[in-house]
Formats: sequence, structure tokens, C-alpha cells
Amino acid sequence: MASSAPPPALTLPPSQFARLQPHAYLLAHLSPPASSNQPSLRANGRQPAQFRPTSANTGSLTHTNGSAVVRVGDTTAVCGVRAELLPTSDIASWSVSHASSDARKRQQNTTTTTKNDDTDADAEESQIQDLHLLVPNLSLSTGCAPGFVPGAPPSALAQSLSHQILGLLHSTRLVRAEDLRVWYQVPTFGGDEEMEVDADAEEEEEGQKGQNDGKEIKAFWVLYIDVMIVSLAGNAFDAAWAAVLAALRDTRLPRAWWDADNEMVVCSEAVAEATRLSLRGLPVASSFCVFEADAAAGWRAVIVPDAEEEKMIEEDQRRGMQRRWVLADPDGYEEGLSQERICLVVDKEMGKTVIVKMEKNGGWAVDGRELKQLVDIAAERWESVKQILEQC
Amino acid sequence: MTDRRRINGPPSGTRPAVFASSLKSASGAATERPRRHRQPNELRKIFLKTGLIPSASGSAYLEYEPSASLAAARSSPQSLIPPSSALKLACTVHGPKPLPRSATFSPNLVLTTHVKYAPFAARQRKGHIRDASERDLGVHLETALRGVIVAERWPKSGLDITITILEAEDDRWWGDAPDSHDAPWGMMNVLAGCITAASAAIADARIDCLDLVAGGVAAIVSDDEAAEEGNSSTPKLMLDTDPAEHKSILSACVVAYMPARDEITEIWLKGDHSKASLGVDDSSLGHEALIDGAVNAARGAHTVLVEAVRESAERYAGLSTSDS
Repeated sequence: MASSAPPPALTLPPSQFARLQPHAYLLAHLSPPASSNQPSLRANGRQPAQFRPTSANTGSLTHTNGSAVVRVGDTTAVCGVRAELLPTSDIASWSVSHASSDARKRQQNTTTTTKNDDTDADAEESQIQDLHLLVPNLSLSTGCAPGFVPGAPPSALAQSLSHQILGLLHSTRLVRAEDLRVWYQVPTFGGDEEMEVDADAEEEEEGQKGQNDGKEIKAFWVLYIDVMIVSLAGNAFDAAWAAVLAALRDTRLPRAWWDADNEMVVCSEAVAEATRLSLRGLPVASSFCVFEADAAAGWRAVIVPDAEEEKMIEEDQRRGMQRRWVLADPDGYEEGLSQERICLVVDKEMGKTVIVKMEKNGGWAVDGRELKQLVDIAAERWESVKQILEQC
Repeated sequence: MTDRRRINGPPSGTRPAVFASSLKSASGAATERPRRHRQPNELRKIFLKTGLIPSASGSAYLEYEPSASLAAARSSPQSLIPPSSALKLACTVHGPKPLPRSATFSPNLVLTTHVKYAPFAARQRKGHIRDASERDLGVHLETALRGVIVAERWPKSGLDITITILEAEDDRWWGDAPDSHDAPWGMMNVLAGCITAASAAIADARIDCLDLVAGGVAAIVSDDEAAEEGNSSTPKLMLDTDPAEHKSILSACVVAYMPARDEITEIWLKGDHSKASLGVDDSSLGHEALIDGAVNAARGAHTVLVEAVRESAERYAGLSTSDS
């Protein structure tokens, strides 16, 4: 075997070369000499557009309403969803008028727009955002990578990831506000005759009616979504978001009602009565980074690329010489070598790809044409992630 | 009070869900306390695996086998209230690495330990900032490990040990009134798990140790049945107790034990063991029996530890031959 022969002097094992000359190492992998007849692969053996093997497992944590473990290659994210109650009496800005107007709107909704419930939902959807009903937090201080000091306040990266998750939860409107409400049907005493009277004078007495026999929101469920990145090897956002998604799909909320005698919200412990969240769609995140052959590219002054330079790059590409590569699902090593990041969140509705979020920063290498290709790759990724999430 | 670096929930705070069944009767007749199906000296199975976190120099993941009641509740869920819980934790070791310039000179390896519960680890939601009990666990863990590592081989270096507890042991059965027990007994099981996992992770980081140190728990418990039958309840010694399964734990002990040298590096004994006369052989005092029991439990954990470390060594040997 070749490996058993003693190495000649002054050669380095690949792992050390990778550490000493990271850029040259990755470049050599991506652009092998034409004579060697080797395909252009990344240092980790993947194709440029290939994602790492992903696996998911849900419902293994005991003290959560929903939980998931998602592994993307060597990055592991554990997400637990805990539901707690926020009584409306605790909300400072919550008033009687608010509660009754809610009930009225809800009634209108159920009568008129039952069909397009999915698309425009109810007008009170902003309650999730206004009342902070979704509380995602991501923790990196779990010893997941050497750089993060445990016990210290969350790093800038952790804070940014938490806010990205929060922003995405709000903008995708993944969780329905209706699922989080605890309603109370105010009992009507001899309400039948009153109802008939009301029917005539509905117009004027609508506000009063809402109070009398309408439903009233007594509490909201607040979902604490905590993500622990147990192991970090690049691309934390994709793994964290997939874990959040899987955990929310697994979440079961107990049936809750207002107990007028105790003046509190109580829940039923029966599993059969618990309801799952009905999520809107299945947005899947895919991240990319751009690796440039010119190591100094990152230090170049930021200028609009002139036509000449673009032409040069294109010509090179025609000759089979690539100057930059878009790498899907970068690992920690590749993330450290590239400036430009792209994050796409896509969903599919009836076979049509919908871009939910697009974020690109750190460079100008990727243009509109390439972004279109990336959306196609992200759509393929959506299919595979969907399959993984449905199996678990 | 609000934490600006994290996303905070509603400013007025939230309340955990109250289940109707717990309101109806204080005795909680609907569900029964989970029962211990193991022999008094039988341990729970331990799942221990090293090297799951490649970016760390050493890592280990430890999980206890769910008790019979929890396993039954998982396979056919009836109630949303879990009967008990099983420990799950991840441990990473970073280092040895040079100390920062600002640190004073140290001829030895400087050990720092961090134990943190995940917010969803326990029945009550935990905060994001380490509380006193977590710091206490960290100190206990540090003393347990300091005696094991051959620290003088790494002058001017530091070693960070971080433990994330994904699921903790219960302190008591959930159906008991919150004030029926005085001490958080679950912490002792957590500490024993931390010691075993940290030991595996240190070995996985290939740091020289005197021996593999293992954690073990034993407790003196008095169960209901004996008391109801009229005779004075005879306390029994149990190894690896799950606090949810016992009505009252009189006293518990956790040790960090090195079998090859027959040494204990950390001992933590809690509760009243003087009253407990363990029946026939009165010669063995309460605390001695407890420590012996904990040592026996640690011996059991040590066998699992040895297997995990052997696996780690085999993986490393395989890696190093394929590298060169």
C-alpha cells in the first residue's frame, strides 16, 4: 500500500496543507490540472451544488411540546418548542373593546371567507408580532465550536441568527394566530329571544353583541422556540431553520379552555384532544457561498464591475477555466474562505416555486442570472428536505 | 431585567399550562407515580458515544435509558404530562490551548467547566443565563475532574469543558406537591451523568488521565408500601435512583470514582442518613452504605465508559493510519 511507505522529506499531509494554505488547498481541489482528468470537486468531496446529507428526528425530548434534532453534515441543531399561556388580563394594552372587535371580525371571517382562509387569513394575524407570541432564541455557547466562549452573552452571530429566525417566522406567517388563541364562549342566559331581537338591530348593537354572546379571547399560547446548536460546522442557519420547522410540525398544543370558577385557563392532558399546529407552507432555507480563485478579491475596492472585466471572466469560462464557484451548503472551512453569502428561502405552492426570502451580501460575483439558477437548486433542495421532514 | 441580547417574550411574562387533572384533587388519583421496575442494585442502561462533535477536540453524548413508565408513555401516548424523564446531555472539550496573554502564569493545565441546562430541559422552563445551581454543578464537576487529569503535562494551557443538558432528571414526581421534598435530587443524577460524559470526552480529546473517572448515584429511600402495611418503613438502599419513582428520598450520594486506583475524587452526600438503620447489619453506618452503593453504581457506569473510550481510540487509530 502506498500509505505504508515512509513519506519523502518536506512533504505535508493534506490535513496540514489545508491548514497552512487553505485558499490554495480548496482552489486546487476545485480546479484540478487538466492532465489529471479529475473532476472538479470541493475539498470535502462534494459537487459544488451538492448539499450535505441531512437527517431529522422529532419528538425525542420529554419536556417539550414539540422537538426536533436536525443534522446537516456535521452541524447539529436541537430545537425544542415550549408553549406557555399569556392571559389577556396580563396584556397591558388589551382592552374590552379589543376583545370584542376580535370576536366580531372572527365571526365575519368564518361566515364570509372560509374558502380563502389560506391566502389572506384573518386580519388579526399581526397579533403574533404585536404580542410577541413567538420567541425564538438560538444559542451557540454550547461548546459547538472553539471560538464561542461558554457562559458568555450570546455572540453577534447568535443574535443575528435569532433575529433572522424571528424575521422569517413573521414574514412567512408560518404559524397561524388562530392556533394560538384560547377562546371563551360567554354563556348566554335565555339568549334565544334576545338573539332574535338582536338580528333586527344588529347594525347598531354590534359592539354590544360581541360582548354578550360572542366569543372572547381569554389567553394566547406563547411558543418559546429554543435552538441549541450542539455542533457547528458551517451553515448554522439552514440547520437551525430546518430544526425550527421540524419542531413546529411536531408541536402539539393541549386543548385549553377558560375555567370561569377558577378564573384561569386550564388544559386537558389527553393526547387525543391536543391539536397540532397547522402551518402555512413549508419554507426551506438553502445557503450558498462564493469562492473566488483570486484570493485578494475580498480586499479589492468595492467598485461596480466594468464590462471589460466581466468579459474577461466570461471568456475564461468559455475556455473551461473557472474563476469562481458557487458552493452550496458551505461547511465551516469554506465559509472562512469566501466573502459572498447567499441565503434563499423558498416554498412551493402547487408546483410553483415561491421565493420567501432572498439575502445576498459580501460581494458582487453573483448576478441575476446566477441567482435564477440558485433558485432552481434551492427548489430541488426543497423537495429533498420535504421528504426528510415528512419521514421523521 | 430584560435581556437585550436575546429575544424576549411578552413583557408581562407567561404562565406554564395548568392541567385540569392536577386541579381536581390534591391527591392526584388519576395517574399513579411511576414505579421502579429495576432491582435495587440494577442500573439504567447508558448510551454513551464519543466524537459526535468534530469541531471540538473531544466530545461525548450521554443518554439514560427511559424508565419503563416513560417508555410506555412514549410508545402509546395518553397524557401530555410525561411520567418521568431521562437524562440527555452533550459534552465538549476544547483544548488544551494556550492561555490568553492576560492570564497569570500557571504551571498546570487550567480547567474550566460550564454546565448549562437547555431552556426546555426541565419541567419548569430554565432561563438563558446560568443560575446558581448550574454554577454549583460546574464546580462539582471541576473538582471531580481535577484529580484525574495529569495537569502538569500542559503548563500555561487551558481546557474548556462545556456540558449542555438537553433533558434533565426530575427532582421529584410531578404529582407531588411542590413542597413535599426539600432537595433537588435530580441534580445528583445530572452530576453523575456529567462526570461520566466529561470523562469520555476528555479521553476522546486524548488528554492524559490517571484513570477513567465514572459517576454513580445511590440513595436511601423509604417507599409507600412498607409504611402503609404498618411496620415502620424500612429504608432501602437503591442504586441509580430516578427521583420520580420514589415517594421520599431520605438521603442520596454521588461520587466520582476511579476503579483502577480505587480512589474517589468527588463526593457529595445530601440528606439525613443518620436515622436510616439499614436493617440487619447495623455495623454498616448509613453514610458508608451510601458511599459503597454509589461506588458500585460508578463501577457499572465505568464499564460503559470503557467501551465508549475504546471505540474512540479505534476511530482515532483508523483515522491516523488513513491520514499518513
